[in-house]
Amino acid sequence: MRNPFKLLLPALIPSWNFFDVIAPSPRIEYALLRSVGDASGDWREFRPRPDSVAPLAMLARLVWNPRWNETLFLVSCAERLTDHPTPHSEDEIFKRIAADLAGEASRERGDAERPWLCFRLVFVSRERETIVREVLFQPAPRRLAEIVVA
Amino acid sequence: MTLNAAVRLTEALLALALIQQSLEHLVRFQSERALFGARIALCVLVIAGVASPWPLVGLAILSLAILQRFEGPYNGGSDRMGLLALWCLTLSRLSPTPPLKELAFGYLGAQLILSYFISGGVKIVNPDWRSGRALRDVFEFSAYPVGEDLRRWADRPRVLLAMSWAVMLFELAFPLSLLSKPTLVAGLAVAGAFHLANAGLFGLNRFFWTWLAAYPAILWLQGRLFH
Repeated sequence: MRNPFKLLLPALIPSWNFFDVIAPSPRIEYALLRSVGDASGDWREFRPRPDSVAPLAMLARLVWNPRWNETLFLVSCAERLTDHPTPHSEDEIFKRIAADLAGEASRERGDAERPWLCFRLVFVSRERETIVREVLFQPAPRRLAEIVVA
Repeated sequence: MTLNAAVRLTEALLALALIQQSLEHLVRFQSERALFGARIALCVLVIAGVASPWPLVGLAILSLAILQRFEGPYNGGSDRMGLLALWCLTLSRLSPTPPLKELAFGYLGAQLILSYFISGGVKIVNPDWRSGRALRDVFEFSAYPVGEDLRRWADRPRVLLAMSWAVMLFELAFPLSLLSKPTLVAGLAVAGAFHLANAGLFGLNRFFWTWLAAYPAILWLQGRLFH
């Protein structure tokens, strides 16, 4: 467990270097697998953004934006996993994917033939004029039923 | 604005911002409810002005537990500004003498100025920002645009070039707004509109409320330095 005063220090002496460089941007993809070594998984983007958000919805999100803020937290976890991996960030991503699967697509959670959940981090960046995607992290799969989502 | 009035206004606005953030945590995981429920209760005490400064002290201690829970800030820069404001307010309230109270609260105002000025500085030394390429990248492939349709903005290089320079020049010129109260109010209005746009386009609503909460600190600092 990290020392909270060390975590507080960058807030008390901030760097304020917002968007100084546009770094490769992580996307989380997940798949349900038959077994730990299964390579037949159908990789899907976790929480793909909608085609558009209406201005009124943008206004409403000023005061109620939990899902998007959680997605931004997962972006931080993804960046932490490639910078200095910790079990915490991996746990958080597994937990929140499992929670979404439990809440929104119960038939996927109940897929007895594919009881293993895995995710991978795809980093999107620009090389000259081309957008490139590269998988930089993929943990060992976990049994979906054993992931605690409380 | 007196020091006491500015501190009082800042702590009330910050408490409202923290309540808004905390409510978002209550609906998701049971394991987060105790931390954020306690934070809401302490924020209500801060707004009511009950038992000052102890609810602020409680919030500062709780902020350490929340940092540990998420192994860092939950939402990057906005949470860091919230922490900075919270700890400056707490130190100001706990300081035994008026100069120390001013120092702790003035530090928040100074950091607010730097938050714009340094952000402008680190952008303008980057050729990608000066050419508009960096902002194109933000729209084209970063994780921030809230809808896929916003990615089409990347196809408008001239607009993004103008936007890039507008942002950089505003951020760099922000300290000049301190020269008088009207210019500072105008500067803060532009800055508020900037945060509002970021909230709409990139979903960064926490930045909007947290920076807004810290504005009384800069209003007080301007009066303290120039009158």
